[in-house]
Amino acid sequence: MNGEKVLVVGGGAGGLLVSNLLAGDGKEVTLVTDNPEHYFQPANLFIAFKGESPESYKRSVESLLDPKVRLILDKLSKLDLGNRTALTERGKRLEYDYVIVAAGARMDYNSLPGMKENFETFGDYYSSPEAAVKVWNTVSRMKNGKLIIGVPDLIIKCPPAPHKGVFLAAEFFKKEKRDVTVELLYPSPHIYTEAELAKTIESKMKSFSNIEYRTSFLIDSVDTGRKVVIGMNGEEIKYDALVLIPFHKGPDIDVNPAEARDDDGFIKVDKRKLNITSYDDAFAIGDCNNAPTSKTGVAAHLGAFVVWKRINGRNAEYSGRTNCPLITDDEAIFVISDYDHKPVGQRFSRLKRLMEDLFVAMYFPSLRYPRKFEPIFDVYFNATEPHILGEKGW
Amino acid sequence: MGDKKTVDARGMACPGPIAKLTRAYREAKNGDVIEILATDQGFIPDIKAWIESTGNKLIELKQDGGVIRAVIEVTAKK
Repeated sequence: MNGEKVLVVGGGAGGLLVSNLLAGDGKEVTLVTDNPEHYFQPANLFIAFKGESPESYKRSVESLLDPKVRLILDKLSKLDLGNRTALTERGKRLEYDYVIVAAGARMDYNSLPGMKENFETFGDYYSSPEAAVKVWNTVSRMKNGKLIIGVPDLIIKCPPAPHKGVFLAAEFFKKEKRDVTVELLYPSPHIYTEAELAKTIESKMKSFSNIEYRTSFLIDSVDTGRKVVIGMNGEEIKYDALVLIPFHKGPDIDVNPAEARDDDGFIKVDKRKLNITSYDDAFAIGDCNNAPTSKTGVAAHLGAFVVWKRINGRNAEYSGRTNCPLITDDEAIFVISDYDHKPVGQRFSRLKRLMEDLFVAMYFPSLRYPRKFEPIFDVYFNATEPHILGEKGW
Repeated sequence: MGDKKTVDARGMACPGPIAKLTRAYREAKNGDVIEILATDQGFIPDIKAWIESTGNKLIELKQDGGVIRAVIEVTAKK
């Protein structure tokens, strides 16, 4: 039905896509976000390890929205699912027929002693473009020693991003002929969470003389004074610079009922229909939900399309599909999986690196004009379904 | 006796049950018991490798009707 009121929370990829899709149907869409800027998050890697400018990867939320969408620059503080109402921090009360929470994950630096202080010194390439600039300020000046990229927890956005950081940093130091070793500290028993893919990534890492890595290394804390990372077994590893991947928690919204969120604050959804558990007029897409798949822009993108179709009465479902690029400077693989298929085997190739560059180039226009770009994404996603790539891999 | 915690990682392929175990292990202390339920077949070799490299104790590893149940005792924290 036209004229239905839709409230969208969050100005990331999922929030923008679903707003533009629904506004195109004549729905009355309101988007609430406290950040007037949208930035392409994977580019934080290019800022941190290539010194690229944050400005090239930022757009105003307004410029990425269909003008029919009403934009409220404010923080959503309360959401009452039973009464279909929401409240912003500045006291604006909103009513809706449908709500879509696309508020992303919240970065948490307090779950590990020393992390907050380390973040203030070295930044990271997860939190913001500004924090990534901080990483570049350190990396670009390092002449020798050790840069550690530490992964305390695996429920993170873009699971291959720690590896991408290692490759890009190692490439930079190699090109600049600097005597810096890059070490990855990783909690799972293989260098990636899936064993077969881990072998591929491991052999690529071994082809670099300046990459080291430790698996099953569980980071307990950081002593920023002595510059050591301390493992849960008491082992200490010395660093000259340290980038820690922050913990991820659910968004900072007071949701009623409280049972709609899990212990970490992620919003509980049906993993295929993406509706918030026991509500058929409320959805959560992307990093803010608890679907048992990777936190990745692809999940937000596909989730936006599923919710758009469902609100229009069509029976779409999210398959859990991931498509996380793991890039080096000149090659790439894609971590492709879904709820029913573990990640398919991959070979590094230059063509895949080119594809990633094409996705980056398409990013902003595809958010603003999702209907135009969807046929292109459809061709790609359909051709690379995990069950199609199968045992042969890609 | 320590505390007992159950981690339900059923239906989770990527990033996998080890991700959930890592979160639970951070909160645990020596003597605690963590039970993990998973459906990802890769979890069986993974938990064995994890136990071997971290030095914790595997009390039980069983598969029943597609559900893998691992019980570990936390022994390797400093």
